[in-house]
Amino acid sequence: MLAYDPSTNPLNNNEWAFPLMEIIHITGFAFSIGTIAILDLRLLGLALPKQSPSQLLKDTAPWTLIGIAVMLMSGPIIFSSDPFMYLVNQSFQFKMGALLAAIIFNYTIHRKVAMSDAAAPGATSGLTKLVAVTSLLLWTSVVFAGLFIAFV
Amino acid sequence: MSEFFHWLQSMALATFLRESGLTYPIIMSTHLAGIGLFGGLILMTDLRLLGLVLRSSTITEVVTQFRVWKRLGIVVVAGCGVLLAWSKAEQYSTNPYFLTKMVLLVLVIVHAQVFRKSVYANTEELDRAPEVPSHAKWAAVLSLLLWVGLVSAGRLIGYYEPPRT
Repeated sequence: MLAYDPSTNPLNNNEWAFPLMEIIHITGFAFSIGTIAILDLRLLGLALPKQSPSQLLKDTAPWTLIGIAVMLMSGPIIFSSDPFMYLVNQSFQFKMGALLAAIIFNYTIHRKVAMSDAAAPGATSGLTKLVAVTSLLLWTSVVFAGLFIAFV
Repeated sequence: MSEFFHWLQSMALATFLRESGLTYPIIMSTHLAGIGLFGGLILMTDLRLLGLVLRSSTITEVVTQFRVWKRLGIVVVAGCGVLLAWSKAEQYSTNPYFLTKMVLLVLVIVHAQVFRKSVYANTEELDRAPEVPSHAKWAAVLSLLLWVGLVSAGRLIGYYEPPRT
């Protein structure tokens, strides 16, 4: 029977490998969450009022995607260091749910709202603000759950 | 010296933080989420100076409108950082990565002062130039390096094991 033995993972055999992956992971989410947060600030009417949300989305989207890609590559590598621990860790389970929700939300409702008010720069409705706040809360909860993996 | 740091971390609030099960990771998460949210602002400002993003906004708009959010970010991130370091002052005072991080933090302040006149308080001139001048691009590259270094040193603090005596 094939069994995965984490002790053979290079991540567990070099003292620099694991922290390096974490640093890449953190930098990745500064790109992704940071750019999403800027768009959220715009949707809330709190930054770059002259810039239309749709233009801002077009400008930041490639960097958001790079950040998400870096996150989604470094994350599973970190996971591979101790998969059996992660799978039963409640904070990890919550994080995966929140992450899935955050990514889907980002590329559906969030995107649609940002694209839609190109015609009316400066105008933000209550619904738009709700979407921005939801986005911020979803991504913040992903970060919190990620850190809490080590504390539950 | 270590007695001083021991005294520092024995103060009521620091002891509470260190010993409470939930408060410590909550402050750490806020520190980290702050880095994500506000680090993005620094990243985007630097990339704008390099001419890579937000090109439909002027440098002036990006710098002036992000300023208040960056300040708020510094207050949140540094505020949480102070609490984290304070509660483990004795351990941190001899941690080489923490000390490296503090040096980088000083360099960030030096960087801001050095480039204030020519870049951050001079954005209208930068916008008038046909191409972003090279000193502004250098300011951006140095800023990116300093911040990646800061995040790296910060993460490594937790991995340092003091030599056993």
